Amino acid sequence: MSAATLDKAPPKAKPRLSPLERSERRLGFILLAPAFLLLAVVVLYPIIELLTTSVRFYHLAQPWMGTPFIGLEHYARALSDERFWESTLNTVLYIVITVPGAVIVGLGLALLANQPFSIKWPVRLGLLLPWALPLVFAGLIFRWFFEYNQGLVNNALGFFGIGPIPWLTNPTFAFAATCIAIVWKTSSFVALVLLAGLQTIPKSLYEAAEIDGAGKWQQFVEITLPMLRPAIVVALIFRTITAIQTFDIPYAMTNGGPGHSTETLAMYIHKTTIDFLDLGYGSALAVLMFIVSVIATTGYLRHTRRDPRKA
Amino acid sequence: MAMALPRFPNKRKMIWLAALIVAANGFLPVLWILLTSVKTETELMRLPITILPAAPTLQNYVRVFTDQPIHLFLWNSFAVAVLSTALCITVSALAAYALVRLRLPAPGLILSVLLAIAMFPLISLVVPLFQTMRSLELLNTWPALILPYAVLSMPVCTMVLVSFFQDIPNDLENAAMIDGCTRVGALWHVVIPLTAPGVFTAAILAFVNCWDEFLLALTLSSRVVKRTLPVGITLYQGEFAFPWPIISAALIVAIVPVSILIAVFQDRVVGGLTSGGMKG
Amino acid sequence: MRKFITFALAGTALALAGASSALAQTQLRIFTGGQQRPDVMRQILEGYMAKNPGVKVEVEVGGATSEQQQQYLNTVLASRDSSLDVVLIDVIRPAQWAAAQWAEPLDSYLGADKDATMARYLPAYREANIVDGKVIALPYFADAQFLYYRKDLFEKYGVQPPKTWAELKDASKKIQDGEKNPNLSLFQTAGAPIEGTVCTYLVPLWQLGGNLTDKNGKLSLSADIAKKPFELWGDLKAAGVLPTNIAEIVTDRMRQNYQAGQLVSTMNWGFVWNRVENDADSQVKGKTGVVPMPAYEAGKSATCIGGWQLAVTAFSKNKAEAVKLIRYLSSPEVSKQQAILASHLPVFPDVYTDADVLKANPWFKDALPVVQTARSRPVTPRYNEVSEIIRTNMNSFLAGTKTADAALADMQSKLGTIFK
Repeated sequence: MSAATLDKAPPKAKPRLSPLERSERRLGFILLAPAFLLLAVVVLYPIIELLTTSVRFYHLAQPWMGTPFIGLEHYARALSDERFWESTLNTVLYIVITVPGAVIVGLGLALLANQPFSIKWPVRLGLLLPWALPLVFAGLIFRWFFEYNQGLVNNALGFFGIGPIPWLTNPTFAFAATCIAIVWKTSSFVALVLLAGLQTIPKSLYEAAEIDGAGKWQQFVEITLPMLRPAIVVALIFRTITAIQTFDIPYAMTNGGPGHSTETLAMYIHKTTIDFLDLGYGSALAVLMFIVSVIATTGYLRHTRRDPRKA
Repeated sequence: MAMALPRFPNKRKMIWLAALIVAANGFLPVLWILLTSVKTETELMRLPITILPAAPTLQNYVRVFTDQPIHLFLWNSFAVAVLSTALCITVSALAAYALVRLRLPAPGLILSVLLAIAMFPLISLVVPLFQTMRSLELLNTWPALILPYAVLSMPVCTMVLVSFFQDIPNDLENAAMIDGCTRVGALWHVVIPLTAPGVFTAAILAFVNCWDEFLLALTLSSRVVKRTLPVGITLYQGEFAFPWPIISAALIVAIVPVSILIAVFQDRVVGGLTSGGMKG
Repeated sequence: MRKFITFALAGTALALAGASSALAQTQLRIFTGGQQRPDVMRQILEGYMAKNPGVKVEVEVGGATSEQQQQYLNTVLASRDSSLDVVLIDVIRPAQWAAAQWAEPLDSYLGADKDATMARYLPAYREANIVDGKVIALPYFADAQFLYYRKDLFEKYGVQPPKTWAELKDASKKIQDGEKNPNLSLFQTAGAPIEGTVCTYLVPLWQLGGNLTDKNGKLSLSADIAKKPFELWGDLKAAGVLPTNIAEIVTDRMRQNYQAGQLVSTMNWGFVWNRVENDADSQVKGKTGVVPMPAYEAGKSATCIGGWQLAVTAFSKNKAEAVKLIRYLSSPEVSKQQAILASHLPVFPDVYTDADVLKANPWFKDALPVVQTARSRPVTPRYNEVSEIIRTNMNSFLAGTKTADAALADMQSKLGTIFK
C-alpha cells in the first residue's frame, strides 16, 4: 500500500502553472462540481442540521420544552448510557466477526467458482443471487430459517439428533444467527470481487510453479494469495463500510432482541429519533457513530489518499 | 483448495462438486422461498415441517398481483435504480477523470474527502434528509430517492472508475486533442469507450445498491404508488398478520428480474472488475 | 429547523386567508393503515361525499403495522407538514399526539356536545382519547385481547373454559396428557420484543389491581405486585404451558399455530376470530370459543384494549371540515357499517347487540363483556420509550437471560426517569 505517497505529485519544483495547466485545473474543478453539489444537498446540509441539533434539547414529544442550547450534554449522556455502549460493542463485534467471515467464505466461494465449468451461468447466478437479494428480504428469510419449531435449521439439526436450539431467543445464538445471515448475504459481493481478482492471475505463474515442483498449497500461499491481495483489500474496505451501518438484517430477524443483545448503533439511532422522537439525543448518537465509522475506516482513507494520477 | 483439484483422477466430479456447493449456497434459500410460495399457510405451520408442498397452489401469486400494485413497485424500483445509476456514473466519471488527469492540487486528499462524505452513514441522516427533501418539495417523487442513492453508490463507482481511467495511456487522449477534441470530448469519445467494461461494472454495482435499499425508501417515498419493491413488499404483511406464503411469492416476483439481469450480464460483472479495476 | 417552522406557519396563515374566499370545494386527505380496511373506509367516504358535495376526501394508505405507520408520521409531522388533515392512530398514541401538539384538540369544535358525545363510547375509549381533560381524537373502531380456546378439546376432556390462571394450567395439562401430541402447544401470548408483549406484562398486573402510574403520573410499581406477572409467566413456562420458544413468539405466529390446530389457547386480538372462521385452510373452524382473559381470581379479569382513533392534525388547513368528517366517521351509524362490512368491533356498547351486526358477527355477543374489562396502556407522551422498556425486559425474562428481579429492577429504574 503506497499510503505515504499521498499528494506528492505533481512535483512542486515548478511553482507557477502554465496557462494550459491553469485552464486544466479550472476544468478539473468544474468536473468535480457536480459530485460535490450532490454531496452538499444529500449529506453536507443534513450533517449541519445534525450537528446543530445535537447540541440542543430537541424532543418532539416534549415541544413545550422548546429547543434550548444545552452544549455537550447529549454527548455526556451518551458516554454514560449503557445502551449506547452495548450497541457500539455489538456494532464492533459485527464488524470484527462478519467482515473477516465474509472474506473467508467469499474467498472459498470464489475459488470454487473459478473452476473451469462447461456451463457457467448457474454457478455464477448462484454466486451472485445473495448479493442481489435486498438485505431486508435476506433478514426475513433467515428469521424463518432460524425459527424454533418450524424453522429449517432446527429441523435439519433434529434430523441428526441435535437441538432444538433457541436461535432467536438466546443472546449468543441470536448473535450467531444474525452473523450467519450477514455473512451469507455479504460474502456474495466479496466473492464477486475476488473472482474478478482470481481471473487476473496469469496461468503462466502456476505453470512455472508446477515446473519448479511447488505443491498446490504452496502455489496457493505463494501465488494466489499475494496476487489476490489488492482485491482482498478492496473487498475488506467495502465490507467494513457496510458493516458499520449494519441495520436491516438484525432489524428483520430479531429487532435487536433478546434484550438489546443484537442491537447495533444504527438501530439504536433509528429507534431514538424515529421512535422515541428524541431528535437531539439521536443526532448526538449519529455524530458519535460517524466518529466510530471514521476510526474504523481510517485504513481505507489512507489507502485512497494515494495520488490517483499514479496507476 | 481449488488449486488442488487437478491432481485428483476424477477431476470432473470435483468440479461438479464445486459447482454444486456454490450454486447451493446461493439457490437453497431462494429455493426454499419458492417452495414456500406454493404452499398454503396451514401447511406451513404443520409439524413436522414438510419440504415439498403437499398440494401446490398458485393462489399466493394471484394474491401478490391483486392485493397490491406490485407492477408499480417493480416499475418504481427499476426507474429509480436506473436513473440514480445514470446520475451516479455521470458525476463519478467526471470527478474520477478530473482527479486522474487534470492538474488538481492534492487530488488524493480531494478523493478522500469526497469518499469520506459519501460514506457518511445515511441511516443517521434520515430526519434531516426528510426535511431537506420536503423543503425541495421532492417527497414521494423519484428524485427524493435518486439523489441519495447516487451518493450511496458514489464511493464504489468512483473507486472503480479511477482505477480504470488510470489504465488508459495519456497518449490516446493527447492524440485526440491534437485532432481538435476538447478535454471533455476526449473523455466522452476516447476514455469512456475504452473503459466501457469498467463503466458497465460500476453501473451494475450501483444498480444493485439502489435495488437493495430499504430505510430511505421507507421514509422518503412512502405513498403506495411511489413505493419501491423492498418497501412495497412489507405491505403484504398485516398489522399482526405475517402471511409467509404470500410474502414468499412476492419475494420470488421481486427476485426474478434481477436474477435474469445477472444471468444475462454475469460475464460483464466479473469481467469488468477484472480488467482494470480493483487495484490495491 | 426553525426556518421550516416559520415556513409552515406562513403557509398555514396564507392558506387560512385564502380559505375564506376559496371555492366551495374542500379537499381533505385522510391517512390510514393498510390493515384498517381502507377499502371499507373509501366506501363509507363515498356516502359522506354524496351527502356533502362541497367536500372531497382522499385516502392515503400507510405502512402495514402501527409502528411503521407512526414512524412515517413522526417524520411527516416533525416537519409540520400540512398535507394530512385526518389521521387514523393506534389507541396508544393520543397522549403522544397531544403532547407533541400534532393533534388539534376537539373540545372547542364539540362545544356543548362534548360530554354527551363522549359519554356514548365504551368507557375505555372515552378515557383513551381524553388527555389532560382535552379530547384529542374520536374512536373509529375497537379491539381487545381475548382468550381464544379450542372448544372441542375442552369439551372432549370435560373442562370448563378457564376463569383463573390455575384453571388454565390444569386444563392445559389435562388436554396435553390426553392428546399426547408433542407438537401441540398449550398456551401462547406475545413474548418477542414487540408491542403485544407490553400487554403480556400489564394484563396480570392490572388483574391484581396494580398500575404503572398513580393519579399524578408518577411511577407506582410496588415491588410485591410488580413482580407477580413475571412469576406468573415464569411458572407457566416452567410447567410447560408456555412453549420454550415463547420469547420469539409474535402475534400472528400464535394465530397461525392456532389456526393450524397446533395450539390449544391463546391471548390474542380480535382479528383472529375472522381468520379462524373465514380462512379456507383453517383447521379449527367452528371449534373456537372466546372468553375474557383468565385472572388470579375468578371475575377479576382485565385485558388490553386496542383499536383505532381519528385525529385532526394541528397542521391541517381545513380543521373545521376535518372535524365534521371525523364526527361522522365516529358515529354509531358508521360503527355499525364497519361491523358489518369489516367485522370491526364497535366502539358503542349498543351496536354490539344490533340485530344486523350480530347476524354478520355472532361472536360479538361474547366479545362485549371482554371489551368492557379492557384497559388502556399507560397514557404518556413518551409511550414508545415506556413500551420499549417493558417489552425488552419481559422478553429478556421470557428468554431466560434475566431473572425476574433483574428485569423488574431495570424496568423500575428506567421507567422512573420517565414517570417522575
